[in-house]
Amino acid sequence: MSPLLLYQLVAFGLLAVGLFGLLSRSSLVGMLISVELMLNGAGLSIVAAGQLTPMPDELGQAAALFVMGLAAAESTLVLAIVYVVRKRFGSAASDAVSELRG
Amino acid sequence: MRELVVQVSFALYAALTLGGAVWAVTAKSLVRALLGLTLSLMGVAALYVLIAAPLVALMQILIYVGAVVVLIFFAIMLTRAQAEQEEAGARDTGRYLRAGAAGLAVAGLLAAACLRHGPKISGTASEIPPSDIGAAFLGPYVLGFEVISVVLFAAMAGAVVLAFERRKPR
Repeated sequence: MSPLLLYQLVAFGLLAVGLFGLLSRSSLVGMLISVELMLNGAGLSIVAAGQLTPMPDELGQAAALFVMGLAAAESTLVLAIVYVVRKRFGSAASDAVSELRG
Repeated sequence: MRELVVQVSFALYAALTLGGAVWAVTAKSLVRALLGLTLSLMGVAALYVLIAAPLVALMQILIYVGAVVVLIFFAIMLTRAQAEQEEAGARDTGRYLRAGAAGLAVAGLLAAACLRHGPKISGTASEIPPSDIGAAFLGPYVLGFEVISVVLFAAMAGAVVLAFERRKPR
């Protein structure tokens, strides 16, 4: 197996585990942790593709740094949202945040 | 000899990454889940070093472990009161099965596509100086560079506005 394939398989593993956590966790903070795992898989895949193919190396690394910046912005906003949900609903579980009962 | 060292360290770091990730999604306590996430992030940083991208590895530790993990820890502390029983209650296996099936389906589909139609190359990674990345950021990709700072500012301002306690006159 080529090194690129091995790196992509690790990234897919992170994606699978993150998706599993996103769907099975019941607290909003746990779901945020799972999303961070998936973003890490994306970054790993991008850097591996940039370093191991003939494309310019700095392109892949710059894209990975973009992903990191977006992850930082996203987690800041999610922290504020979790804080507001906790204040308004009294709990940070995803089940609590449904006013319409279906 | 060198090949063997690289292969063994790749296996070690990949196991660290995936093991930390599994721990992060299965731990009952959210603080332990965060520890698993940190392990996984460190494993990914080590994989970056292995693929000759030390700057990205350093940024990974600086931004993720230094900032994002601390932010998530703040989130855990701010919602501390019921964090334990939220994760402890209602362990139904159907939910786990559905979540696992969804994760495996998506990642398995992508992995199958990659195995069948992936590029047949065996290039070796070469290290580039950080000044090249800086030139890319300030040359052709300056728009993206500026947009990411605007996005960060908007996220910070939005967080402050959301969490700001309004003193309503009552």
